[in-house]
Amino acid sequence: MQRRTFLKASIAASSLLAVPSMIRQAQAAEPLSIYGVKSVSGTFASYGQYANMGSKLAVEDYGEVLGRPLTYTTIDTEGNAGKAVRKVQEATQQKGALFFNGCTLSSSALAVGKEVAKAGGVFMTPAGADELTGKNCNSSTFRWSVPTYGAIRETVLPLIKMKPEAKRWYTITPQYVFGEALLDNAKAVFDEMGVEHVGNSYHSLQEQEFSGYLTNAMAARPDVLLLLNFGGQSSNVLRQAVNFGLKRKMTILLAWSAGLDQFKELGPELIEDVYLGAQYWHQIDTPMNNAFVKRVREVYEMNPNYPMAADYIGTKVLLDGIKRAGSTEGAEVSRALEGYTYEGPTGSETVRTSDHQVIKDYYLLRGKAASEMNDPDDLAEVVSSGRTFPAEDAVGCNMA
Amino acid sequence: MLDLYLFQILNGLGLGMIYFLIAVGLTIIFGLLNFVNFAHGAFYLLGSYLCYTVVALTGNFWLALLIAPIVVGLLAWVIEKTLIQRVYHLPHTFHILITLGMALIIQELTIMTWGPVGKSVATPELLQGVVIMGDFAYPKYRLFLILFSALIGFGLWLLLERTRFGALVRAGSEDTETVSLLGTDIYRLFSLTFALGVALAAIAGVLATPLRGANPFIGVEVLGLAFVVVVIGGMGSFSGALIASLLVGLVQSLMTTLWPQGASLMIYGAMATVILIRPYGLFGRA
Repeated sequence: MQRRTFLKASIAASSLLAVPSMIRQAQAAEPLSIYGVKSVSGTFASYGQYANMGSKLAVEDYGEVLGRPLTYTTIDTEGNAGKAVRKVQEATQQKGALFFNGCTLSSSALAVGKEVAKAGGVFMTPAGADELTGKNCNSSTFRWSVPTYGAIRETVLPLIKMKPEAKRWYTITPQYVFGEALLDNAKAVFDEMGVEHVGNSYHSLQEQEFSGYLTNAMAARPDVLLLLNFGGQSSNVLRQAVNFGLKRKMTILLAWSAGLDQFKELGPELIEDVYLGAQYWHQIDTPMNNAFVKRVREVYEMNPNYPMAADYIGTKVLLDGIKRAGSTEGAEVSRALEGYTYEGPTGSETVRTSDHQVIKDYYLLRGKAASEMNDPDDLAEVVSSGRTFPAEDAVGCNMA
Repeated sequence: MLDLYLFQILNGLGLGMIYFLIAVGLTIIFGLLNFVNFAHGAFYLLGSYLCYTVVALTGNFWLALLIAPIVVGLLAWVIEKTLIQRVYHLPHTFHILITLGMALIIQELTIMTWGPVGKSVATPELLQGVVIMGDFAYPKYRLFLILFSALIGFGLWLLLERTRFGALVRAGSEDTETVSLLGTDIYRLFSLTFALGVALAAIAGVLATPLRGANPFIGVEVLGLAFVVVVIGGMGSFSGALIASLLVGLVQSLMTTLWPQGASLMIYGAMATVILIRPYGLFGRA
């Protein structure tokens, strides 16, 4: 071999050998994208916009992971499961997206969870459907919020204990999967505690006029009216129940409230002495929540609400998973999250390995009177809290 | 059990009067101007949010009931002069297209102005509390709504049937050209009629806010309900709107006891049945 040929070959070989490290260096500097799947427009925009603010703040606070700067991209679902899936598909196929957080609606979360699993990514959601960590669970999907079982047991049970004389309960339930799940769990608690379920009125998902259902409730003469609907419907049924004078005749419990925003919308006149179940409340006294509230006040000049807190912690835990895995491979991040215990807004929270459900507290609040409030957001007080989850072998989750 | 049904009938009548207030503006605009106003729900929405703002600023619900319809009616008058008047002669599909666009603009402006989270307005102090009827209680505010809606209905009937204004508008809707040739500025009357119909939507928005709150998407629901009433009663029929509203209220209220999960569905069931028997509605004309 001639000297010149040898030199050329050596340069070429060393260049080739340098390529992987150059690629690694390039990759190290390449930003890592976190995708927020939020309903920032459409009917559920009031929820999605705050959820988006929460995720954005979590990404901003994290700054970088594994030496890679973080970017945040919002996917607007417009409150529509079909659009959510299509946009997530585009993100996974065209941009190689792997890490997702969000989905308010259970229908969107279930569909997006499947799509992310197909792409080998990781999806953290606050959605309510039991199936997410039940029969439709998968290795990619994780859920922060307490499902219906815990929501009922942490609200109905304490109230029965607080008011042993209240033996007659009436329920108003939206007729779809979420409402049915809440009702089934409530009936189980009634049986267990020897409480009489004196009646139930189902209503459709479109219903906004509840005077007829409230009349049915009055006819049954209950001690407690248990509302199992959510969002705008629960606000309207509460408004109309107060209008019908039911607050003076019976105790009212809204098992699944939307938290601060809903309480602000209704005001102390309506929620005074109403019992309210909540996933999150800004006055929870835990180290992480105190720091989080302070940070949100600095950045957004407001107190955090449930969507903001849920999506902040969901995004943060997702990033923790990447850090713990030391990798951006979806499967490795999922494994790193299983059994992970961290300081969350509700205290020490743990990701259950068997179904990817985060084990956290659920709260029973009582609406305050205007005269009891120390500031405009001091609308409720925590009456009790706790964590109750169905046994691992009872949820029907099979990851295999 | 009989008490329950009797009370549901009373509740249904009350509900029907609220629905009448929601739908009557739509039917007046269609009946007299032959104009399909898909922005009716959006004007109701504006009335509802103006009610919230006036009550938040002054604490006076009655002032809101006065101011909101005037402001929304004036806005409607301007819109009619600048836009709607140019499209009266076009087919109904154009009316729908234009008013649907207006509705979307109003909805988005509402979100930009008041935010996406809903608002509540307390029942006026004077009408808080309930009237006890045996085992049941009926809110004083709903009783007031029944009476107020009945008064509005009677006032409208007088205006349209017993005044020169009503006679001219009715004549103009039959033959615009002839009435104009007789020296009446018929388009001015049309502007006033459009503003009146829209102001009625705003009144409904104000009065319904203590019961249903204000949220940016309420207009769509209200529009659907108003159209059901107008279709059952017969497009453009004033008395049809009243009878249809009461029918819808009764069906909905009674069904919440007989078949609660189908109560909303049965409103549309009632509409389908009426259309099958009388395709132009109870009081409609071919």
